[in-house]
Amino acid sequence: MTRRNFFTVLEILFWPVVGFLSVGLLAEFASLQQQMKGFILVGVVSMGAVQVCQLDVSYALLYDVWSKSLKHAFIAPVGIRHMLLGSLVVGMIRGGVVFFILIYASVWLFEFNILIAGPGPIFLFLFGLFLNAAVVGMLVCILVLLFGNRAEVAAWSLVSLMLLVCGIYYPVTILPGWVVGVAKLIPLTYFLEYIRRFYGFEPSFSLVLAKGYISVFAYLFVEIFLMKAALSRAKRKGILLKLSE
Amino acid sequence: MSLAVEVKGVRKTFVSGTVHKTRKQALRGVDFSVPEGVLWGILGPNGAGKTTLLSILANLLTPDEGLVRVLEEDMRACSMGILRRINFSSGHANFLWSLSVRENLEYFAMLYGLSGKRRKRKIEELLKLFELEEFSEVRFDELSTGTKQKLSLAKSLVNEPVLLFLDEPTVGLDPDVARRVRDSIQQIHREKGVTILVTTHNMKEAEILCEKIVFLREGIIRAFGSPQDLKGELRLGDSITIFFRGSLSTPSLEHFQGVYDFQVCNSTCRILVDDHRKRLPQILDFFVSKKLLITDFRIQEADLEEIFIALAR
Repeated sequence: MTRRNFFTVLEILFWPVVGFLSVGLLAEFASLQQQMKGFILVGVVSMGAVQVCQLDVSYALLYDVWSKSLKHAFIAPVGIRHMLLGSLVVGMIRGGVVFFILIYASVWLFEFNILIAGPGPIFLFLFGLFLNAAVVGMLVCILVLLFGNRAEVAAWSLVSLMLLVCGIYYPVTILPGWVVGVAKLIPLTYFLEYIRRFYGFEPSFSLVLAKGYISVFAYLFVEIFLMKAALSRAKRKGILLKLSE
Repeated sequence: MSLAVEVKGVRKTFVSGTVHKTRKQALRGVDFSVPEGVLWGILGPNGAGKTTLLSILANLLTPDEGLVRVLEEDMRACSMGILRRINFSSGHANFLWSLSVRENLEYFAMLYGLSGKRRKRKIEELLKLFELEEFSEVRFDELSTGTKQKLSLAKSLVNEPVLLFLDEPTVGLDPDVARRVRDSIQQIHREKGVTILVTTHNMKEAEILCEKIVFLREGIIRAFGSPQDLKGELRLGDSITIFFRGSLSTPSLEHFQGVYDFQVCNSTCRILVDDHRKRLPQILDFFVSKKLLITDFRIQEADLEEIFIALAR
């Protein structure tokens, strides 16, 4: 689908690499300690993987919305769960590629190896990131089904907002109290806290991995029902037809 | 004969706006049944509810009220089994723009569960059937409107459906391409025995393609039948114009069977009959019996356009 779409290639590699280099070079310029540099690099690498995977999940509907071919997708014997799962698998592959490219770049350019956490924690962390991306991607799809084209901006804005709150470049404890409360509702906060302990940063919360997985699965469970309800409403209100005109 | 489509009391109202809500009744109690193996048309002016009805049948829209059964299954359940056996083609063809014709067909073939050699064979067959071979590697956004329409029809056959919904399949096409698309539709119906329900507001198209017509206006079925039935129902008969020499007493034609109306003006008589094939011989005999010399006669068949205008008023 994206074979000849130059801009999609940009989204997959260009922006994560540019973001990574900008932040990494800033850390170099600021002469940060290796540990502090690691804190920031873990954040920027995670951000790249989450963004790429989340966009792919959102594309489950967005490509058909942009091509105005949504009705053909929905008349086929394919459920929305198939579309989302397929997109998530593609997103995980692409997000994984970005993650490991950035890890390699981190070792090569900034002498920081994220993989020192070990394969088990890295796997748990990366899988958590992808599930978190699925939560955001599904939310974008729900909003598109509810509000049509107007909601597509959520594909880019939601994840940026989430990354701001959940402490991608800083510990959430420096945020105002009520924002910390919001951060506690986002699974990514716990996954970042979990992985950073392997680089010498004690988590601000207890049972971070369990909380991360429980919350991410809870969101996915709720979103499955919301998605069904949004699709049912879209069929009732004629939104599928409007999005195909 | 089993039914491909059964619709009872279907109503659909679209509500728009949040504070000042406006309601538009698209369908106001539609009932009809379509037997398997037919090619029927849904005809009506813009805003009659044709696309709404077809979208409900294709599971893209949920009715507010009423029963919809497709291939003898309730559409509320909308099993994957039904979706595997139906397909849909829209006049305003839109597909993934960055994919080529072949890639789009492959994508939809995959959605319908075709794989490997079967998928490849099916795509080659469709490319050939719709003369799309030379465009197979051309991106969708670089295709002409006619070729996009052919791709839409090709896509609608990818799963070998037993029931096909075609929403204004020739809209925006030039006459030559429209004729070829109509030929393709007839070929699909004839050779594959597919039940086809087609919406159009092109009267000629409905007359050429459809065995029977459901005429919708303002969300209600106003008429139903073959073009011939509709002509009779609306008394829109064929017109026979006879030019003669002599004098004709007008009341004498009144009691002829099948005569709807007649006018005599000087040496010209215009007679409106239900079917000129049945009535012409006896009318000519009548003129001969009255010793009137017929110098010429003309026949004009009522076409569906007249039916459309009469029903749409």
